[in-house]
Amino acid sequence: MMGQAPQQPVGTPRGGDPAEHHPYAPVVALNGVRKAYPLRGGGQRLALGDVTFDVARGEFACVVGPSGAGKTTLLRCLAGLAMPTSGTVEFEGTPLRQVPAGVGVVFQDYGRSLFPWLTVRGNVDLALKARGIARDSRPARIAEVLASVGLADAGRAYPWQLSGGMQQRVAIARALACRPDLLLMDEPFASVDAQTRFGLEDLILRVREEFGVTVVFVTHDIDEAVYLADRVIVLSASPGVVTEVIDIALPRPRDQVATKRDEAFAAYREHLLGLVMTR
Amino acid sequence: MRGEAAAAAGSAQAGSAGSSARAGSARASTVRAASRVAGRAATRAWLFAALIGAWWAWSAGSTSVYFPPLAKIVRTLWAQWAVGPARAQLGSSLEHLALGYAIAGLAGIGIGALLWSLRYLREATSPYLYFLYVLPAPVLVPAVITVFGIGAAMKVVIIAFAAIWPTLLNTLDGMRGVDAVKLDTARALGMSGARRTLAVVLPAAAPQVVAGLRNSLQVSIILMVVSEWVASTGGIGYYIVTAQESFDYLGMWSGILMLAIVGGAANLLFVLAENRLLYWHYGARAVEGRA
Amino acid sequence: MAGAVLAGEGRLAPGAPGRGWGLRYGLRLAVLAAALALWQALSAAGLIPGDEFPSMTATVSALGHLAMSATLWAAVRDTLAGWAIGLAIGGGCAIVIGSLAGLSGFAYRSVIGVVEFFKTIPVIAILPIALVLWGATLTMKIALVAFAVFWPLVIQVCYGVRSLDPIARDTARVLGVRGAREFLMVILPSAAPFIATGLRVSVAVALIVDIVAELIGGGSGLGAQILVAENSGPSAYPVMYAYILVAGLLGVLLAGLFTLAEGWVMHWHESHRMAAGHAG
Repeated sequence: MMGQAPQQPVGTPRGGDPAEHHPYAPVVALNGVRKAYPLRGGGQRLALGDVTFDVARGEFACVVGPSGAGKTTLLRCLAGLAMPTSGTVEFEGTPLRQVPAGVGVVFQDYGRSLFPWLTVRGNVDLALKARGIARDSRPARIAEVLASVGLADAGRAYPWQLSGGMQQRVAIARALACRPDLLLMDEPFASVDAQTRFGLEDLILRVREEFGVTVVFVTHDIDEAVYLADRVIVLSASPGVVTEVIDIALPRPRDQVATKRDEAFAAYREHLLGLVMTR
Repeated sequence: MRGEAAAAAGSAQAGSAGSSARAGSARASTVRAASRVAGRAATRAWLFAALIGAWWAWSAGSTSVYFPPLAKIVRTLWAQWAVGPARAQLGSSLEHLALGYAIAGLAGIGIGALLWSLRYLREATSPYLYFLYVLPAPVLVPAVITVFGIGAAMKVVIIAFAAIWPTLLNTLDGMRGVDAVKLDTARALGMSGARRTLAVVLPAAAPQVVAGLRNSLQVSIILMVVSEWVASTGGIGYYIVTAQESFDYLGMWSGILMLAIVGGAANLLFVLAENRLLYWHYGARAVEGRA
Repeated sequence: MAGAVLAGEGRLAPGAPGRGWGLRYGLRLAVLAAALALWQALSAAGLIPGDEFPSMTATVSALGHLAMSATLWAAVRDTLAGWAIGLAIGGGCAIVIGSLAGLSGFAYRSVIGVVEFFKTIPVIAILPIALVLWGATLTMKIALVAFAVFWPLVIQVCYGVRSLDPIARDTARVLGVRGAREFLMVILPSAAPFIATGLRVSVAVALIVDIVAELIGGGSGLGAQILVAENSGPSAYPVMYAYILVAGLLGVLLAGLFTLAEGWVMHWHESHRMAAGHAG
C-alpha cells in the first residue's frame, strides 16, 4: 500500500487538472507565475519562470528545491507580499492583489519576525487586533492558541526570553490566531537544532489537524518535506520552474521513528534527492 | 519604498545563483548610472533650493525692519565680512576657536588615554568627570571672566575647558571597549605600554574618539559665541550683539549667516578629515585582518 | 557619540559589587575630600585671590543659604520649564516630521540635505532672531531649545524609521497591521533605539541651550542668576559658584532620569535585557 508510490510519481508539473486528484476546490492556485527582479544598472533577473500548481483545501504541500530556486520568492507571491511579473495567484477563487486576511505566514527568522517589544501574549494579541477581533474574545483566543503550541504558561514572557524552538512556536501560534485558511511557512525550522526540529515537525502536523488549515511549507530539507507532506512540489534551480509534483502516500499519523524507517520513505527521499541534486 | 526593499531582498537572496543577465552595453549603463547620480543629487538639493528661493521671494518686498530682504542681507554679508571691517572680527573668532578646540582635542585624547591606563585614578575620578561633562558649560563663562578678564585668554580657556569633556570621555569609553584579544596580541608581540596605546588602543578606539571630537567641535563653536557675547570687544558674537543692540538688523542677519557659514564649513572640514582618518583606520584594520 | 558615556558612571567603571565596590567608593570619596581640602587650603594660603575665586567654605555656605531661599527654586523651576517644554515641542515635531520623511525614499532624500545643513548651524546663531521676536521670555527659551533639539533628533528618527527590518515589515503586512497601529506598534518601537540615542544627546543639549538663553538672552532661570551674581561683584562670587554647582547637579539629575526612563521604556532591547531579566 505504501511501497509502490515512488516509482510512478503522481501529479504533473504543469497543465494538469488538479481537480482530478483533489475533490475540493483549491485554496490557492498559481497560474503561469513569473517573477523578475530589476538589476542594478539595468536588465533583470528571472527568479521564477512560469510556475503553475495549486493546493487543495486541507492539503499539506511542501516546496523543495536547490538554493536559488526562488522558493522564498514563490512564498512571497503566495502571501501577496510580492506581485508576480506575469501570471496570476488566486486565493480562494479571487486573484491576489494584497495580503489576504485568510493567510498566516511563519518566517524562518523568528528573531526578526517576532516583535521583541511585545510579550508573547502581546504578539498574538496584535494579530487579533489587526483583524478586528473583539476585545472581550481575545484573551480566550490567545490562551487557546498558545495552549495548542504548548506555551500556555509563556504568555507573559518576552520572545527573547525563550529558546529558539519556543520562539518559533510563538510565531506559529500568532500565525494561527486568526484561524487562517492557508498557512505559509518559509523554512520555519531551519534555524533550530535537530531535536527541536523533530518536535516542531510533529507539532505542526498536530496543529494542522486541530485547526484544519491548509499548509504550504517551503524547505530545502528533503527528509522534512517527505515526512510532513501530502504532496511535494519540486522547483528547479534558477529560474525556478516546477520540475515535478510528487504525492506522498505515507500513512498518517506519521511518526519520527516508524515513518522514517519505512522503505517508501527512503524511496521518496532518494527520488527527490536525485531531482534536486542533478538540477 | 516597500517595492524597493522587496526587490532588494529578492535579488540578494538569489544573487548567489549567479545567473544574472545583464542587459545593455557598458556605455548605456554608464549613462544610466550618471543620470541616477544626477537624479539623486537633484532630490537632495531641490527642497533646499526651494527654501532659499522662498525666503528670497518672500523677503524681497519686505518693509519690516526685523526681516530685511535676503538680497540686502547677502550684499551686507559681502560688504561687511568678505571685504569690509568685520573681517577682523571673523579672524579673531576663528583664531580663538582653532586654538581652544585644538587644546581641548589634544588634551582630551591625552588625558583620556592616561586615565585609561591608570585604573585607580579613573575609578576614583569618574563621577567627577561625568559631572563636568553634563555641567552646561556656558555657566562657566562668568566664572572664567572673573579669573581671566575679558581678553583672548579667557575665550581660549573657556572653549578648551568646555570642549575637552566630550573628547575625553569618549576616548576613555572607546579605549575601554578595545577587545582583550587585541591587547593580549600586542603584549605577546612584546610591545611596550606606550607603544601598545599608540599602535593598538588608539586606532581601535578611533571611531569613538572621532565622535567625541565632533561633539567637542559643536561645543567649541557655541562657547566661542557665548564668550564673545557676554564680555568681549571683538568676534562674531560681539558683532551680532552690537548690531542687534544698535538696531542694525541687516548687520545682525549678516552675522547670523556668517555664523551659519562658519558652522557649516567647520562641520564640512571635520567630515573631510574624519573620512581621511577613518579611511586610514579601516585600511589598517583590513591589513591587520589579513595578517 | 558620547551617548555611552552619558549612560552614567556605571559605564565608566563597571564591575561586580563586593570588595572592589567598597574600594571604589572609598577612593571616590577620598578624591572629593582631597579636592575640597586643596581648594580650601589654596584660598586660606592666599594662593587664589578671594576676589577672583571664593573659598570652598564660602561657596558651600552660599549654597546652603540658597537652598533655603525661594530664589534658587524659582530659578530651577524656570530653567526646567524652558528645558521640558522646549524638549517636548522639538522632540514631538522631530518624531512626526522624521517619521513622515522616513516613510518615503523621495521625502527622505529631499529632507536630509536641508536637515544636515540646519544641524550644522550653531543654535546660538538664531538667538538674536528669537530675542527680536519674543524678547527675554519663556517663549524665547522654548523656541531656542526646540530648535536645538529638533535637528539632531529628526535625523535619528529618519534613520530609525528607515532601518525597519524588512522581515518585521512583511510580518506587519501579513498580520494585517496597518496605518496608525502599524506606526505605533511596529515602526515606532523598532525606531526606538535610534530615537533614544538622539534623545540622550538632546536632553543635554536642551539644558545647555536653555541656560545660554538665560545667560545671554536674559530669560529667567539659573543662567540669569549666575550673570546677576557675577555683575554684583566679588562679594557675590560664592553665590555664583553655588549656582554653577546647582546647574551641574541639575545636569546629572536630568541625565540620570533619562537613563532610568530609557531603561524602563526600552527594557526589551538587547542593551537593556540583563536588567529586565527578572521582570519576565
